Order: sequence, then C-alpha cells, then structure tokens
Amino acid sequence: MKFPRSEGYLVVDSKKCAGCLSCMLACALVHEGEENLVLSRIQISRNTFGLYPKDIKAGTCLQCAKPKCVDVCPTGACYVDEVHGNVRVIDESKCDGCQQCLEACPLVPKMIIWNHEKNVAMKCDLCLNAPYWSEQGGPEGKQACVEVCPVDAIKLVKKVPKGPKVVLDEFNLREGNAR
Amino acid sequence: MTAGYAGKILRLNLTKRSISVIDTEEYEEWGGGHGMGSAIFWDLCKDKTIDGFDPRNSITIMSSPLSGTLVPGVSGRSEVQGIGIQQYPIGWFTRSNFGGRFSGMLKAAGWDGIVIEGAADTPVWVNIINDKVSFEDARNLWGLDTWETQQEIWKAVTGNAGLGEWLRIGDAQTTQRPAVLCIGPAGENLSRSASLIHDAGNGAGQGGFGGVWGSKNLKAVSVQGTGGIKIADPKALMDARLWLEQYFSYQKGEQAVPSGCEGCIKLCTFRSQKYGNGSSCADAFWYSGEMGNTEVSLDDTQKSTDLAQKYGVNICDIMAYVQKLTFGGYLLTLYEMGILGPGKTIDSAPLPWDKLGTLEFSEALLKAIAYREGIGNDLAEGPARAAKKWGRLEEDLASGILALPQWGMLWHWSLPGVEWPFGSILGDRDIAEHDFEFHKVDAEKKEHDFESLLVDEDTNEHELTRNRPTGVAIYPDQTPEQLVELLAGKTIPYTGDPFMFSYAWQGTNGSNMAEALKTGIYSRHKAKMVAWHRHYTRFWKQSILYCDWMFSNFTSAIKPDHSGFTPEAEPRFLNAVAGQNLSFADGMEIGRKVWNLDRAIWILQGRHRDMEKPAAFLFKPGIAVDNPLPVYINGKWSVDVSLVDVFLDESGVETFKTNFYEFEGWDTSTGWPSRGTLEDLGLQGVADELESAGKLGSSGTYNGE
Repeated sequence: MKFPRSEGYLVVDSKKCAGCLSCMLACALVHEGEENLVLSRIQISRNTFGLYPKDIKAGTCLQCAKPKCVDVCPTGACYVDEVHGNVRVIDESKCDGCQQCLEACPLVPKMIIWNHEKNVAMKCDLCLNAPYWSEQGGPEGKQACVEVCPVDAIKLVKKVPKGPKVVLDEFNLREGNAR
Repeated sequence: MTAGYAGKILRLNLTKRSISVIDTEEYEEWGGGHGMGSAIFWDLCKDKTIDGFDPRNSITIMSSPLSGTLVPGVSGRSEVQGIGIQQYPIGWFTRSNFGGRFSGMLKAAGWDGIVIEGAADTPVWVNIINDKVSFEDARNLWGLDTWETQQEIWKAVTGNAGLGEWLRIGDAQTTQRPAVLCIGPAGENLSRSASLIHDAGNGAGQGGFGGVWGSKNLKAVSVQGTGGIKIADPKALMDARLWLEQYFSYQKGEQAVPSGCEGCIKLCTFRSQKYGNGSSCADAFWYSGEMGNTEVSLDDTQKSTDLAQKYGVNICDIMAYVQKLTFGGYLLTLYEMGILGPGKTIDSAPLPWDKLGTLEFSEALLKAIAYREGIGNDLAEGPARAAKKWGRLEEDLASGILALPQWGMLWHWSLPGVEWPFGSILGDRDIAEHDFEFHKVDAEKKEHDFESLLVDEDTNEHELTRNRPTGVAIYPDQTPEQLVELLAGKTIPYTGDPFMFSYAWQGTNGSNMAEALKTGIYSRHKAKMVAWHRHYTRFWKQSILYCDWMFSNFTSAIKPDHSGFTPEAEPRFLNAVAGQNLSFADGMEIGRKVWNLDRAIWILQGRHRDMEKPAAFLFKPGIAVDNPLPVYINGKWSVDVSLVDVFLDESGVETFKTNFYEFEGWDTSTGWPSRGTLEDLGLQGVADELESAGKLGSSGTYNGE
C-alpha cells in the first residue's frame, strides 16, 4: 500500500538531551492525564554510568513513509490521519490489543507503546489528541515534549530529515539548527 | 486517596527480613518528605535516645506528591531521615536529601516512601519491583564500590537488555533502568563520613547514613516501577511548568551538554566522555584549585570527586581536610604547622604529602577513610571526633583552623548571612539552605552565576559554564529599599517587616550594638526571619521537596520588577498535582509543626538552650565570606559589601536566642516548647511525651499570629 507522507516529524538530538525525562513526563501527562514513564510515546533511556554520547538512547516515532504499524493493523485502529497532516495515529477505541503493530515496528526501542492498563497500543500523534492540554497539537500545532524540553533537544520538522535511516534521535539540533 | 500520592509506604524489617505496609493517608497531613518522615520516626522509633548505630534506629526515605511529576526542582528528590552518626557531640535526629530519579521510580512502583528498621545478620540488598519486595543476598556485592554495585544490581534486575530496549515487567514494559540507592566501602566500614549514593553522584551525605546502612548490613535498595501517578489537574500542571520555564529561558541553545534530575529544568550536572555525571559544582570543589604548591588539574579534580562517589564518602566532611578556600584545610594546616605528618605527633600514614594536589594523594586519602587505614581510621570518625581523639578539638575550634561552626559540621556559607549559623545551631545540622545567599549582579551581566564544569559536546573540552543562580540577586537598577520591600512582601505569613532582612551587626569595635539588637542580626525581626526560614524549608523544601538549588526564588533577572516566583510557584504546583487548594501560608504552618516535632525529638535526645552555642571561632574577626547584604543603619538602608568583617557577639547571640524562643513559643530558659505551643499545632501526644520526660517548656506562646 502507498501512504501519503506525514507533514510533520519529531526529531531528537540525543547528543543534546539532558536526560531529565521531562518530555516523557509531559507526554504521558497531556495524553493520559497522569505521570507515567511507561505510557510515554517518546522514550529516553539513560545509562547513568555510560559515557557521552552513548549514555542516552532516545526513541521517537518516525512517522514512517511506509508505516508497518498501519499496514499490519487488522482493525483499522492504526491509520494515516489524512485530515490532520497524515500523522500515523491509533484510535484506541478500535484497537483489539493484538500487538501486531508492536511487533512490526522496526525501531529500537519499538515506538508502539503498549498500554498494559487498557490493553491497547498507543503511538506518538504529534499531540493531535492530547486531551489534558490547553494547546492544539498536530503538524501545525504544538507538541508537549518540544515545549517542555529545557535544552531544545526536540523539534518538529516539516520534511523528512536527510541522513541515514533511523537516525531521528541523532538529529543535530545544535548550533544553527537550534530554534 | 489524594492525587499525587502512591498510597502506600513500605516498611522493611531487616532483622526479620519481613515487610509490612503503612497507609500513606495516615500521614498525609504532613505533606510528604521530611514531615512524613519525622512523624513516622516519632511513631515507630519508641526510644529517641538511642545511638544512630542501634538496630532500632528507623531510617526513612520519603518522596513527595510532586515526585516523579513534571514539576521542576522537585521531581527527582528524596528525603532521608533517622538518627545520624556524623554530628558531634550527639548524633541528632537528622536529615539529608538527594536528587536523581529514585523517588519518581519509587512512586511508579507504588510506594511513597521506605522505612528501614532493624539490622540484617548478613549483607542484604532489597529488590523492589512494583509491589514485589524481596531481600536478596548481598555478600557478592559487599566490597564493591557504589558504581559497581548499582551496575551489578541492574544486571540482576534487567538481565542483558540493551539501552533503549523495552524490558518486560509483568504485563508492563519499560525502557528505564532500576533506580538504586547504595553504600560503598566507607559505609560498609561504618564510617561516620559515609554517604548513600544513587546513580553516579546523587548523594545523601550529611548525617552519615551510609554508615548507618553499613551497621544494618544493608548494601542497597533497588526500585523498578511501571505504574502511574494520578494528577488532580493535568492542564494546570502543564501550564504551570511552561510558566516557570519563562524564568529560566537563558540556557536554551547553549553548546555544552548539561544534564539533570528527573523532571528538572535547572540541569546542574553534565554528560561527559570521561567522567561520572554527578560530580559537579561543590562536590568537585573539595579537591580543586591551589593545594599546597600545586594547582590541581581539572582532570584530577573530576577523578578525585568520582572516587569519593564510588567509595561513598560524604564530600561535605572531606572538604574539611585539604581545601583551604572553604575555611577547611584542617589536615593541610596541621601538616604545615609540623604537627601532622610522617613521624609527627599525629602520624599521617598512608598519606603521601609530597603528592598533594595530585590524584595519588586524593585517592590515598579517600581509600584510607573508606577502609580505615592508618590516619583514615581517625578520619572515618569525621573531623570533630578525629580532632577530639588528637586532643585538639577545643583549641582548634577556638582558633578556627578546624572550621566546624556547629555540631561537628563544616563551615559552609556560615557568615555573613546569620540565618545560616543560627538556623544550624537551632537545628540538627549545617542547614545548607541557600535562600538568603545574596549576590550582587554586575551591570553588564544579566544574572549572577555559579560556574560549573560542563563538557563541550563537540570538542570534548571541559570548560566552566554558567550554572543557574540560587539565592537573592541584587540588581544595579534596584535600590536597597526596593530589595528589602520585595523580600518583605514575599515572606508570607510574616509580610511587611523589612527589618527581617537587615544584617546590621555590632561592628568591629561594638559601636553599632544597639542597632544590631534593635533591627539587626540579634533583633526580634531577625528571629522572625530565621523562624520563617526554618518553617519554609521544613515544609516546602524538605517535605514537598523543592530543591534548594532552585527554591526559594525571590528575585528574577527576567521580570521587569525583579520579582521571582516565590511564593506563587510553591502552592501552584502542589495544588495542580494534589488538588487540595493549600495556600502558601498553610504550608508554612505545616512547616512550623514539623519544625516543632523535630525540636521535640532533639529535646528527648538531650537538647537544651545551653548547648546551642556556635563554635568559638565565630566570635572572632576574619571569618566571613565576601557577600553583600542589606543593612539598616542610622535610619538608612544600604547594601554593604564590607560585611566580610562580620563576627558574632556572645551576648548578642544569647539575646537572639531569647528572641527566637519567644517568637516560637518556647521556654526561654530551656529552649523547650510549651504545652500550649505544641497543642496549638495538634501535637498533644508530643507534649505528653515531653512532659513525662520532664522536658516540657513551662511557658511560651507562638508570636507569629
């Protein structure tokens, strides 16, 4: 199947990241209304004894051009939201918890987030549906993780960043690239 | 259950290797952190007069409703309490506090705190994975340093999962490593200068709790949690977070690689290609700059500090030994005097004095303390007890070469800001609360800076980079009157009294004594200010756990009126999370209650007015650090930079104490709270216990209303 490209991409500079987990706390807060690192759709893991830059691994959904999560979903819960900038999203009410999307995700860490409390899969929607936030999200709006990051290590870009595959967590937001 | 809390407190009995559960609700009136810890200690540790090494000593590690949330400067902090072993002459019931991510993980596992009682017969570590708690054999970890210990525990809990991989825990999954709090060799060898260490350098050093854990055969507590924390008003929390970031916007876009505690924006530490990420700021100060004839290299400073973290040695104690810039340098001074050294009166083996200023010396010193080798056996008892053993304590406290202003703990910012030595002597420890540390801001600079070691990410060069300010800034466009009015307007509930912030002292020849007694450092106004500071810190900083390095915040470079976010931020965040509509003043009143409860414990331990005397060297010139302070003299406010001369006057301090006890509603002859004062706070049971010990104040009414 062919899918229209997303009109927004969340990129993280893991070399700039402070490891404070604020993005994760903000993500869970605006989406779930609670603080929960496990339910965050952006994941920062840190080896506090590791040496820079391999001490932090950042994970964000890449809004893949060919989203396998959408491809494998048997219920249509995971789909491309053509009304809102082609963001790849999951409608939790349609998710039957089969976890095929989770298995299909090629990223490390897999960026389909398993909500073990509701038995549904979740993913980054660029804050399109962030019911616990006063701001509007999506490719034209704001993202909670971007807003709270104290070092501007997360950014929404409009085009697929150039570079090797699966390196959005190593996107350079230093120097001229910082907002 | 109130939002923000996990709902349960884990009670560990190491003797029986059993657990039980305390319902958090029973202690919610105390807020969290220190207040809850003191109340739990009061209830569980029946005999408050026991020694810190006694197995009956109850140690609490508490979070707050804000732990593990998006509230900056709180989220990662934990409060540790119990009877300490560091302080001299008595190991008071005391506290320490550490950052990182331990408290957030603890709440994610479903616990608001941990109480540790008893002592294990062989070394154990405690493995907490959500509601599963087990006592694990730690004999294979005994002897490992704090970094090795944590990584071994990670392996035991997470197996070989790579960084960033999802790890299955029951039905849930996480990418996070367990949060571990542990001791190193110093704690195992029962040093009074031993710390608890979490991650690379978040340490709870003061109080000597590392040695207490060692005496309990407790090597580590590991927590892995996958749960959530309920938030009363998520939108309000997100809005408050973004509001506070406005006060801290200037670090955006900087080139260095700062890092920080969970949920924070202040980012006081750094990521490095060479060193541990927790050895920043004052930690690294213990072995830096000029030392003897050597300038310590940055490399040796960082490596020496990392070693202190690994051995689990309390850096605040070892700061006393060879770093002269902090009124310490005690060992170095004795060495230079020819009293201490190879073959001298005090034999200093195994310290290689010819290598002072290098890593070889610092490593030998740390190793000697951690393993009690040679002179290290004396130093493992802390600087005061070492000096006592050498027969030098009184003499060296009088001359000031041993700079321990109170309770055997090192000089910090002890003067010219008198709330520091006064708050410390009235309490249990060096307060280490920088709220009223005044700094003058240069006209060309936007903000007063602390310099902190950071790493340039591209060149990997280590350089000094700006850290964010704490304390009170004095701006060039601000008159002294505006400054004290600003402070007087923010210090709820004692607003409207600018004299609280006058640091007028008696002067070198004593000629200004009348002013010092009337409006200055010994006055009723200063007593009120010190009381405000005690109550504020006991609740907002030590119970709700707002970090000392970010709160309070009276002044701002960014706001046109220079008004900082205190007292707006403190209740705003708490109410967004817990939804209890608590006012700043409500919090201050709980703080007063916690302070009085702590006071009662100290009194049962033997505290009396007569003991509350700063060390002799504070009554002599030449000790204050160079900080400007507001003063009111001859009807006029000014900002005085000459206060570097400040020293205390003995009768002035006694007057101050009387003023302070009167304000708090404590008996002025003993310093003990009256029944009326305690009962007004709802502490009838405390009054009863003091009375049965014959230690209830006979008179006194709280004067703050």
